[in-house]
Amino acid sequence: MEAFYLEIRTVHIAAVCFSGLLFLVRAIAGNIFRAEWTMAAPLRYLSYTIDSVLLTAALMLMTIVHQFPFVDAWLTAKVLLLVAYIVLGSYALKRAKTRTARLVYTGAAVAVFVFIVSIARTHNPLGLFSLL
Amino acid sequence: MSIKRLWIALAIFMAASFTALGFLGREIQRQEPPIPAAIVDTAGNTIYTRADIQDGQLAWQSMGGMQVGSIWGHGAYVAPDWSADQLHRETIALMDIWAARENSGATYAQLSRSEQAALEARAAVEMRTNTYDPATDRITVSSDRAQAMAAVRAHYMALLGNDPALEQLREQYAIANNPVPDEARRATIAAYYFWTSWAAGTNRPNSDVTYTSNWPHEPMLGNNPTPANIIWSIASVLLLIIGVAFLVWMHARMKHDEAPKAPSTDPLLGMKPTASMRATYKYFITVIGLFLLQIGLGAVTAHYSVEGHDFYGIPISDWIPYAVTRTWHTQLAVFWIATAWLATGLYIAPLVSGKEPKFQALGVNLLWGALVFVVLGSMAGEWLGVQQVFDINTNWWFGHQGWEYIDLGRFWQTLLFVGLMLWLVLVTRALWPALMQKSESKPVLAILFLSTVAIGLFYAAGFMWGKHTHISMVEYWRWWVVHLWVEGFFEVFATAVISLLFVRLGLVRAQTANVAVLFGTIVFLFGGVLGTAHHWFFSGTPVSVIAVGAMFSALEVVPLALIGGEALETYRHSKAAPWLQAYKWPILFFVAVSFWNLVGAGVFGFLINTPISLYYVQGLNLTANHGHTALFGVYGMLGIGLMLFCLRSMASRLAWDDGLLKTAFWALNIGLGLMSLLCLLPQGVIQAYHSIDTGLWFARSPDVIHSPIMELLVWMRVPGDTIFSIGAICVAIFAAKLVFAPREPRKTPDAATVPAE
Repeated sequence: MEAFYLEIRTVHIAAVCFSGLLFLVRAIAGNIFRAEWTMAAPLRYLSYTIDSVLLTAALMLMTIVHQFPFVDAWLTAKVLLLVAYIVLGSYALKRAKTRTARLVYTGAAVAVFVFIVSIARTHNPLGLFSLL
Repeated sequence: MSIKRLWIALAIFMAASFTALGFLGREIQRQEPPIPAAIVDTAGNTIYTRADIQDGQLAWQSMGGMQVGSIWGHGAYVAPDWSADQLHRETIALMDIWAARENSGATYAQLSRSEQAALEARAAVEMRTNTYDPATDRITVSSDRAQAMAAVRAHYMALLGNDPALEQLREQYAIANNPVPDEARRATIAAYYFWTSWAAGTNRPNSDVTYTSNWPHEPMLGNNPTPANIIWSIASVLLLIIGVAFLVWMHARMKHDEAPKAPSTDPLLGMKPTASMRATYKYFITVIGLFLLQIGLGAVTAHYSVEGHDFYGIPISDWIPYAVTRTWHTQLAVFWIATAWLATGLYIAPLVSGKEPKFQALGVNLLWGALVFVVLGSMAGEWLGVQQVFDINTNWWFGHQGWEYIDLGRFWQTLLFVGLMLWLVLVTRALWPALMQKSESKPVLAILFLSTVAIGLFYAAGFMWGKHTHISMVEYWRWWVVHLWVEGFFEVFATAVISLLFVRLGLVRAQTANVAVLFGTIVFLFGGVLGTAHHWFFSGTPVSVIAVGAMFSALEVVPLALIGGEALETYRHSKAAPWLQAYKWPILFFVAVSFWNLVGAGVFGFLINTPISLYYVQGLNLTANHGHTALFGVYGMLGIGLMLFCLRSMASRLAWDDGLLKTAFWALNIGLGLMSLLCLLPQGVIQAYHSIDTGLWFARSPDVIHSPIMELLVWMRVPGDTIFSIGAICVAIFAAKLVFAPREPRKTPDAATVPAE
């Protein structure tokens, strides 16, 4: 499977980009432009599909590079922040009661997302802070 | 056709089918490959004895048996098929000996193609010639072959021990390190592997076909499909076409009653479940728990084919090796599905008769405790067995029997049978008043009762083998349990139960249900009973098994020609009246059963069913593809559908969450479809190509199993498995909401309050 390392890594990164972009578009359209299509079934299923691909590629990469959450600190941080991102994203899109709250959650989710990406780039649990 | 004629036809078919099945069993026993008193070389040195081979079978069983690689194609898929592996390794070793002696130390691989071809022809003669002498009860091999056998034996001794040189191979095979620490036990396992490969590579007396009908495909030795194999394959396809045409004609001739007008209200709405019916609640909670556990173990088992010793870096093979996770995964599938069906029987019997026998609830509770004890006890025994805690005799009783789907030790198997007898008594005593009454539904009730008796008694087929029974006969009886018991009588039982439920809901006339159930049972069992033989094609059985198995298992596919109509009719039931919205998802699970019956059992089953197909793909992932889509797709969905039907009447209607069931339904179906289409099916096709092109040993070798494309396909399971797991979790949350919903006050706790029919 190592033979496919670069392809899998590319798929993983592409899925991360699509996932983040889709979330941002839905959050902005719903919370700023008050669009009603943001929770439409096709969009929700597209999101699930992208996240499934992302997860699968992540598991494959873990096995290839032999680095695992709760063994390697940077992956542990990624997994824990991923949970936080999912919760914040859920509140940003539907669970928070007011528009202002949803916008705050959107900002927090985006910040966490950027931080996760920085951890992935640096392979350090401190992410972009490790560069300071 | 009148009911009386249908009963006569069923009786005749059953008598004829079981007589023929018994005759086949006698022939299998008469023509099984001999286990000799001794295997000696030409110098008279004893290499193996009968005791070595028989102890080897028990030792192989103790390390997980069919859950670690396979024998004659039956078992697990990550480690090799040991018969094919031994046959190939021994042949190469033999040709290496000749090449070294006659070509100045060269190996077979270093020779020119023409020199290799000459050695292969010579090896084929040497290996295929039957040197078993019934007079002395001995097999005699040349000293060269004895030397080759010793080389392979050394390999297995190292592989099944802790030799660091073979650590990587063990990981590729997903075999834990030092799986059999006892050297003597390892030696007997090597003897057993040799004997199974001897049967696969040696011609029957006065024949040019081996004991296993030339299985496995090994072109180097001339192990190619036999003419009988090809002829019966073609004949079976023709019979399938004729059968479909005949069934469609019969169906067109039958009078089709219009469905009755559905009642304006739910006939079961006012029904108060009796104490014993309510006692089945805990069975269904157990079903969900076992189902979730089975899924988790499936994920671990699948991951073992990528990391043979680890689970994402955790060295779990030290604690629960592949042999254990796969055992539990397959065994739990049978346990949770059977529990769902047994609970349905216990629930529906008082519902149908309107009577609650004395102490029925106590019996139902006792049976539940016994079932939980057997499930947990047998799982613990299997773990201890694989950890080599027991001696080989104790292991057979309390540990791991090593026979796929009947892995539990004989002690646990006996307790399970006692439990089934208790279930039979409980269902019978509750159903009996209905059987004694004059009723329009009597034929369906009679089929239900007969299938209950068959479920109880036919599990006893699993007691027909002992510790030292020949593997050909073990296979004969094992498939009585797996095919006849699980796939046969449980299906008849389910058909009768579903029909009765629809009759009780007023969606089907009793008379229509009687004819449909009896006709369906005849059609289903006509192919199903003798179709069992398709599992025995290459298990050391004679050609008659291939003939009967091919023809009758083709007939098993015939009823699927009408399954689209059946699915449509079932779906229409959910639309017959507004109140049926309450039963929408249980009914849709029955529609899913029809779909997977066609795809999983029909299409994927027939893909591997003809002798010529199975010759190449037995023991490859196409079998796993059929196994998953048929076992869960048909029987699992049926179990969930029946469970929901029972829960519908017991649970608080306010806590019933259709949204969760909708997600569960689609996630389970889509997840199963993706598991098949993205992983198991393409993996199986790739392996089939290599099996046809090179040989079965190669299709099961690490070169193929761990090739980049095959490992990539393992990962392609993740999306489907994730979606599937979400479906199962939704079922669990759905059930939890029912459990924790506020209970409605009981009015008459113990009396029978269901309306009698």
